[in-house]
Amino acid sequence: MAGLRVVKSRDEFEGEIYESLSIIQGSDLPSLAAGAVLDEVGKSRRRIDGVQRVTGRATYTHDVTLPGMLHVRVLRSPYPRARVRAIDTKKAEALPGVRGILHRFNSPKAAFRGEETIFREEVRFIGDEVAAVAADDVGSAVRALGLIQVDYELLPHVTDLEEAIADGAPKLEDGGNVFEAGSLKRGDARQALKSADVVVEGTYRTSTQLHNSLESHGAVAQWDGQILTVWESTQHVFGVREGLRAALLLPLSRIRVICDYMGGGFGSKGGVGKYSIIAALFAKQLGRPVRCVLTRHEENLAAGNRSATLQKVKLAGKDGRITAIEHISWSNAGQGRWVANPTGPTNTLYDLANLSTKSYRVMTNAGSLSAFRAPGYVEGTFALEGAIDELAERMGVDPLTLRRRHAAAQKDPRTTKAYSLKRLLECYTIGAREIGWSKRRVGGTRGSAPHLRRGIGMGSQIWGGGGGPPAYATVHFNADGTVILRAGTQDIGTGTRTVLAQICSDELGVDLDRISVRIGDTEGPYGPISAGSLTLASVGPAVRLAARDAREQFLGAAAGVLEVPKAELRMERGHIVSKGARTPISEVSKKLENNTVIGKGSRWPNPENLSIKTFGAHFAQVEVDTLTGEIVVEKVVAVHDIGRIVNPMTAASQVEGGVIQALGFALTEERVVDRSLGRVMNANLEWYKIPTVLDVPEIVVRFTDRPDRRANNLGAKGLGEPPIIPTAAAVANAVANATGIRLRHVPMTPARVLQALAMIR
Amino acid sequence: MSLFSYAKPRALGEALRLLKNGTAALAGGTDLVGLIRSGLAKPNALVDLTGIESLRGWTREKGKGLRIGALTPLSDLETSPQLRKLAPLIAESLRDAATPQLRNMGTVGGNLLQRNRCWYFRDEAVPCWLKGGTRCFAAEGENRYHAILGAAECVMVSPSDLAPALIAYDAEIELASSLGRRTVPLRTLYVTPGGRQRKEHAIRRGELITSVRIAESALERRGTFLKAMDRKAWSFALVSVAAAARISGGKAHDVRLVIGGIAPIPWTVPAAHKQLEGSALDDNACLAAADLILAGAEPLRDNGYKVTLARELIRRALRSLVR
Repeated sequence: MAGLRVVKSRDEFEGEIYESLSIIQGSDLPSLAAGAVLDEVGKSRRRIDGVQRVTGRATYTHDVTLPGMLHVRVLRSPYPRARVRAIDTKKAEALPGVRGILHRFNSPKAAFRGEETIFREEVRFIGDEVAAVAADDVGSAVRALGLIQVDYELLPHVTDLEEAIADGAPKLEDGGNVFEAGSLKRGDARQALKSADVVVEGTYRTSTQLHNSLESHGAVAQWDGQILTVWESTQHVFGVREGLRAALLLPLSRIRVICDYMGGGFGSKGGVGKYSIIAALFAKQLGRPVRCVLTRHEENLAAGNRSATLQKVKLAGKDGRITAIEHISWSNAGQGRWVANPTGPTNTLYDLANLSTKSYRVMTNAGSLSAFRAPGYVEGTFALEGAIDELAERMGVDPLTLRRRHAAAQKDPRTTKAYSLKRLLECYTIGAREIGWSKRRVGGTRGSAPHLRRGIGMGSQIWGGGGGPPAYATVHFNADGTVILRAGTQDIGTGTRTVLAQICSDELGVDLDRISVRIGDTEGPYGPISAGSLTLASVGPAVRLAARDAREQFLGAAAGVLEVPKAELRMERGHIVSKGARTPISEVSKKLENNTVIGKGSRWPNPENLSIKTFGAHFAQVEVDTLTGEIVVEKVVAVHDIGRIVNPMTAASQVEGGVIQALGFALTEERVVDRSLGRVMNANLEWYKIPTVLDVPEIVVRFTDRPDRRANNLGAKGLGEPPIIPTAAAVANAVANATGIRLRHVPMTPARVLQALAMIR
Repeated sequence: MSLFSYAKPRALGEALRLLKNGTAALAGGTDLVGLIRSGLAKPNALVDLTGIESLRGWTREKGKGLRIGALTPLSDLETSPQLRKLAPLIAESLRDAATPQLRNMGTVGGNLLQRNRCWYFRDEAVPCWLKGGTRCFAAEGENRYHAILGAAECVMVSPSDLAPALIAYDAEIELASSLGRRTVPLRTLYVTPGGRQRKEHAIRRGELITSVRIAESALERRGTFLKAMDRKAWSFALVSVAAAARISGGKAHDVRLVIGGIAPIPWTVPAAHKQLEGSALDDNACLAAADLILAGAEPLRDNGYKVTLARELIRRALRSLVR
């Protein structure tokens, strides 16, 4: 094909910069104009797959049932740390219905995240995989687990973050338990702290948050002797395919991964899981389809979490400005080999001349962390924005005013590159108006009864979300004039099919209901992980190019069929329009019969000299019962600066979902671990408390809605993560405004509120 | 999960004949099914009571008070306008109990006999004292939801919202077994696990609750039920308070205060009732009663907040009786 080119690009993903190669062709399209009048993009559209979902016809991984399918249950370590010395499976094997058992002494090597096998010799948390049973039915598999005898040698363990940091903790690695994960210095924070008028200092703690996706992790695997097909609830079908290749050493051509629909991931379904490898190993070994999906209990032990953090923040102020910040963070990574960076927002959100930050990864005998919707940034923003409010109060400056003084800069303080677009100040203005900031009083106001105090607070947010290559799409016309759009992506639940169809519709001039979207399949074009708020900004521009390419090709074909010069033709609402004539597309495609037009599009690199970020601010109004410690969040105003809004309805859903999940983090959600047993006491939905519908306040969603035309050809950026970032800080600041107590530990439960109130009485 | 047989009798007598060692009575199943699934209950036979129509529904006969069949779904009590007028505490206590789905399935008898929610007890792998082990793990472990007073070897708390409300009406329960019938105060159904008694309920083997009775005189009481939760729905009480009293001339008589979520049994202190007899229930009187009730509190590492919470809810509940 003509004009293929390979380009290198450097793009941000969840706060880190990654380099990638991608193939592009032709030329990129100019970014859609700010005032472009479009039929679909910019309009609220109900999800094109909504009916499928609510009628139960959509196929999720949990729904996949194949003839002869076996069911897997996993034996998990009952100890937080132990050596597996021997496993006796004789009794379990003898149980009727049991078809296979895998464990570390009989399992083929299967590489997984840098380890050679999925069954470790040293199990390192309660829930770590020890063995797996495949049986005709779940009941037999469960009974078999009870018959497997494992000889464990117990080893000393530590599960708590602060205990793992302390001297005398069992050392889990040769290098100890604490590993530096990143640091940044700007200016001279120490000197600025010395010469400050005011210094505030605080220790902040955030608790381990569990994802609790509606659909638990799981896979169904089928081996037909040549092709391994795996249905998996995943945010990255291509990532799963690569993980299966590495584990099973099959050529990629023999692995197909499908994720038609998924019930949420929130970052925890970023790649292959041990459950997928187990299902695939059994499928190959036993020649039958195999289903391995986690129970809710397993989900909350061994499927990732947002790590608990301990953060120390020191902030200096002088002459009504912030003059320095020190921020040190420790994250409980469990057995995780990477860690999110809670100092990310501190490094980049504000224009701060003197800064010193450091983050540490701490190993413990608990389930591994995994990415969780804006990993690090949720935790870090809670600490940073709390400390800024404290400083503002001590300096007698309105907290919003103080932020304005440091939020105007149009350059990324970390890279010194100019922002492609930044309208954070506008977010402040909109949010302040919607919450009634002018009515905020120092010390709060009286609530609806004497023991109730009302307060207003806010927090700001920065995140990436610019997306980038590689991402590809194809568009082809059927003989009846309908269109199939294939894109390298999957729908994590945000409405990906719908927004991609909208983009395709406008570019093609074909109505939305004539376009069918195929995603979530490695048989389609390659595409990125649905994470880092990058799906729309990565895949959307490629879809636009593919649609444009298809349109141009189709018009060329139409010119031949209609015997009109191509230059005189355009496509509009399903018609080929020329001077004085409107021909339905199907009139042309019908004549082409099955000679299909296929358009291709690839995501072009981001501009090298610009920093592409998303910004936003949340404002919260709370009422606090000072006698029972109950916090009622009455209203949250969420304002986001994410470029062009492709579908206001699905965008608002993202924001509402983010706010609600953030309220769980702020008020109710906390994994509780018994330290001496190393057990998670609330690995269930009874005592792990996600917000219920009654806990949801009024949520006002606003967007600056200005296309970021320098970012990509759509001018759109990501929104998956921004709306979970600043809510907890806004609520904590509102509580401080209402009551005078500064809660530095989330979730802000009645117990913690009452304890803090008792201290000031 | 173990294998068990299943029977669905149509008459009480037949059910009572079937109930014996190793048999579990199944009504709404909202607790029992969970217990079986997690291996905490291993019945070899289930006797499904839901076919026994005579145990369903409630009646009131003038002069004889209120009688509620043990199989009556919680949602029936919650949504009946007549009952709400007659015994408002009952509907109030159910409003925030569990979820609408669970209230549709759950029955009065099952609610009163539900097992506690301690997360060590509910974790099959933890050999806690109540399950025959040697120690209470919560006492020294994660105990934010546990007892602040009245506990012995086990610091679990009584989970029912309905029980405190009914006890505030001095409710009695009728029990039946193949050996006969007896009627006892509901209050005495609850026992503090300790010593040789590794259980929460004083129900005998083979015995069923058939109905709950509230005397006519108790129905003259006003009532208030307050429940503190750590989110707005589907949570067991951090602390709950059922308060009832007959109010006459602005003074309270026959005061009853029953506190849930703070002790292994629904907690009552008769001295506090006496102290409030004839009181106008002003703030001072209410707080004095609360302090009397909570005087013996010995909070564990993580549950000191319950003392503050209980004191305030007792005050609010009592105050609301005279508003």
